[in-house]
Amino acid sequence: MVDVERLREIAREVISRDDVRQLIGYRQGTYGFRARPAFITSPEEVDQLIFSPACVNNLATYLTLEEKLPVPRGQEPDLRKVAVMVKGCDSRALVQQMEEKAYERERIVVLGIPCTGVVDMDKVEKRFPDVLSRGEITLEGDKFVLSFDGQREEVPKEELLADKCKRCRYPTPLVYDQLLDEAVERFADDDYSDVLELEKRSAEEKWAYWEEKFSRCIRCYSCRNVCPMCYCEDCVLDRLNPQWMRRSVDISENTAYHIARAYHLAGRCIQCGECQRVCPVEIPLMELNRKFYKDVEELYDYEPGTDAEAPPLLATFKVDDREDFIL
Amino acid sequence: MNGKPKIGVYVCHCGTNIAGVVNVEEVVQFASTLPDVVVARNYSYMCSDPGQALITDDIEKYGLNRVVVASCSPRMHEPTFRKTLLSGGLNPYFLEMANIREQCSWVHEDPIAATQKAKRIVEAAVVKARRLEALDVKEVDVEPACLIIGAGIAGIQAALDIADAGFKVYLVEKSPTVGGHMAQLDKTFPTLDCSACILTPKMVDVANHPNIELMTYSQVEEISGYIGNFDVKVRKKSRFVDMDKCTGCGACADVCRMAGRIPNEFDEGIGMRGAIYLPFPQAVPAKYTIDKENCLFLSKGKCGESPRCKDACQADAINFDLQDEIVEFKVGTIIVATGYDVFDARKKPEYAYGVYDNVLTALEFERLVNASGPTGGKIVMLERGKKKKKKEGEEAEPPKVPKSITFIQCVGSRDKSVGNEYCSRVCCMYTAKLAHLAKDKIPDCEVTIFYMDVRAFGKGFEEFYDRVRREGVRYIRGNPSEIFKRGDKLVVKAEDTLTTTPLEHETDMVVLSVGLVPRSDNREIIDLLKLSQSSDLFYLEAHPKLRPVDTASDGVFLAGVCQGPKDIPDAVAQAKGAASAAMIPMASGKVKVEAQTSEVNEATCRGCGFCVAVCPFAAIELVETTRNGWPVKVARVNEALCKGCGACAAACLSGSIQQRSFKDVQILPQIQALGVK
Repeated sequence: MVDVERLREIAREVISRDDVRQLIGYRQGTYGFRARPAFITSPEEVDQLIFSPACVNNLATYLTLEEKLPVPRGQEPDLRKVAVMVKGCDSRALVQQMEEKAYERERIVVLGIPCTGVVDMDKVEKRFPDVLSRGEITLEGDKFVLSFDGQREEVPKEELLADKCKRCRYPTPLVYDQLLDEAVERFADDDYSDVLELEKRSAEEKWAYWEEKFSRCIRCYSCRNVCPMCYCEDCVLDRLNPQWMRRSVDISENTAYHIARAYHLAGRCIQCGECQRVCPVEIPLMELNRKFYKDVEELYDYEPGTDAEAPPLLATFKVDDREDFIL
Repeated sequence: MNGKPKIGVYVCHCGTNIAGVVNVEEVVQFASTLPDVVVARNYSYMCSDPGQALITDDIEKYGLNRVVVASCSPRMHEPTFRKTLLSGGLNPYFLEMANIREQCSWVHEDPIAATQKAKRIVEAAVVKARRLEALDVKEVDVEPACLIIGAGIAGIQAALDIADAGFKVYLVEKSPTVGGHMAQLDKTFPTLDCSACILTPKMVDVANHPNIELMTYSQVEEISGYIGNFDVKVRKKSRFVDMDKCTGCGACADVCRMAGRIPNEFDEGIGMRGAIYLPFPQAVPAKYTIDKENCLFLSKGKCGESPRCKDACQADAINFDLQDEIVEFKVGTIIVATGYDVFDARKKPEYAYGVYDNVLTALEFERLVNASGPTGGKIVMLERGKKKKKKEGEEAEPPKVPKSITFIQCVGSRDKSVGNEYCSRVCCMYTAKLAHLAKDKIPDCEVTIFYMDVRAFGKGFEEFYDRVRREGVRYIRGNPSEIFKRGDKLVVKAEDTLTTTPLEHETDMVVLSVGLVPRSDNREIIDLLKLSQSSDLFYLEAHPKLRPVDTASDGVFLAGVCQGPKDIPDAVAQAKGAASAAMIPMASGKVKVEAQTSEVNEATCRGCGFCVAVCPFAAIELVETTRNGWPVKVARVNEALCKGCGACAAACLSGSIQQRSFKDVQILPQIQALGVK
């Protein structure tokens, strides 16, 4: 577990640097067990920072999400670095973003968090509904300890752990300037059992399944907004000429939207699972992304977000690429 | 002109090519009902004079501002109909072609279904035509100078032609002398002209021509720019000999401590040279070169008390401090004439080349029969790598003369096992020539040739082949399987396939008629000029029949064997072709550049540079600019270089690159028209 005092000490050092303008980390949320992103710009704010199994957000998203307002005439743009805290999975978003040349490595300072797993907040809230006062979650051995309203509850890790952590291959960040704790050994692996299950279904079954899921979509675009890999200056969904997809919320356009998004993430999705986490209508979006992820790994022996020097998979080709799957 | 679209649709019968399957009347009927179509017609041959007149007349009569021609592939007649539009006073890019021949009538048999499909293709074209934009055809000035890479016979000939026409030529050659492989040859087939007698005057001419700047021992390092305006950077490697002072007397080479100890590349390693050398006496320029890898002074820092060559040079030309020199200049056109390598016979281990001293390649044998070669033209048995022990006062034993010589054809040609499926085109005839020369020099020598087929296709070739056979050269049809040694003799194991008799043929010397292969360093040129290769890995011409000296890169031309195996007359003919092709833009002074180029939306481009990586023409670069005051990198297209291939548009992750005439807004409605209804 990351020692919070040490975390704050390092953060204070980083934000005090002349060449760093902002540090993106986690702080306690407004209610319940939740944590939320913290945007630190001065050493005084550093004491807000925390890290706990409640820190589920992938903060890599904010590096590209930041709105760059026009620089007033006569002023210089603030080009100082941005520091960001990342868990193992989040770090892969940085790697993939850099593979796609979203920014250069020297633009960022990475504080790596070796991660022993985070909770699935839905599971927590199901177990402890209506906790509105601030609570805390810590990991002690193989148990999550939840403290709230003067109570202390222990729950086996397995029961509250987020699904993505159960198949995490990279608990220790792949890129960092400073590691906030000892590296964590891999404690899980991905056997794609969920994808295999999906693949077994017939085309009709799959269609019926997804028709039900997609029909719920309200096109809030949360999945797009939270995704660290969705960072085009001008999203295809916002374009009117040509209009690739209509905005109407119906099964046809919803399906087109989700298929387009899955394709845009093929060979790029780094499995942080944020899209599914934020979906207000519980569409299992990771099932689509994971199918592509598995295909890409099997066909090209490639895992997105693991090598910043590698060329992006689907922007390149090799003469001996497999093509037996082409109809 | 950009008011409401007024579209004319012209459906071609193409004789019976289209009308035999597609009901063209019905297509015309249908087309006339489409929105914005003002007139629709059909005609037997739209591309003919009267066909084109229909279009120009309608442009005038109906005020058409868009034209759809439903006929063949745009590859065939798009240029034709663009000219038609131009002569009718319309921008040529207001043309859209609907391919109802290759993509419809030629591939379908059912007339009803084919007619349906033709209608859809026409509808899609009409929908796209409504959204076409006028494009400007730009012109760029052409620098009246040509870079020629490689100074073999092809490069020399091209250089002389262009220089004689009054244009500047920069002739760059990697080795210390011009002349290439032709300079190594003794006689040329089938006329038996002395190779040196016809080549050396041309070598002297390129060195002395006022319009030619010759750079030997030099390498092209960088080429940027585009047709008309290439910027070239050449490295002139240091010879450690002052070119202005050296008189070519050779006093230095005589005294070099390494003299006679380094295999001479020009003699294919049969003859020896020193560390300071002239490749052969007729080399141009006749200036000496120090091979820095082998020079004791340059490689070890010490050469006796002092370097003997320096002491011997009366002209004080030797200067060990000389550095490489970088020269930069601008040219309008480029000719690649980099030639070939001969096939490495070690790749056919059954022929034991490199194992037995007297298994030679034909090029080695060529040096052996050459009057200016290491043996003065005497054909002798070789003792390779053996230091001759000469005791005081003892006369060296005179070398043995072979009593029988056996040639094996098609070594490394027409051989899938080594990856060379092609015929090298010269081996049949040079083998016949070498067999003739062997007979000529050693009349009682028994000369045998193993062959698969004899291809004597050129002018005078068959006659020469006949003559050689009459001289007593024995041709055996069969591809030998093995060469081994029995006593002093080499044994060639083969089957005479005409009599189906297995045989073991004893001989003194075996000559392998090695084929021609692409140069081992041809990647360098590909990287410099983004050339393509054909499946045999020689450089690819733009069209095998109608543009044989052009490449896909405008302003870059091919001459000689770098494009594919050729004999000397063919190489010279191609060089003259390349020279004339290169002179067209130089003479006119201007060239038109592609109008259907890519354009970047700099507002959304995020400078990832994938377009730069995929562009086969190096037409895109990343530039630094600002967006709302923030520094950003964006892609920028050099329109003079862009060929409109569209690779960048496909690679762009953010959809920020669009290709003119193929923009999303133009293509999407087209796809929609073809979609399910």
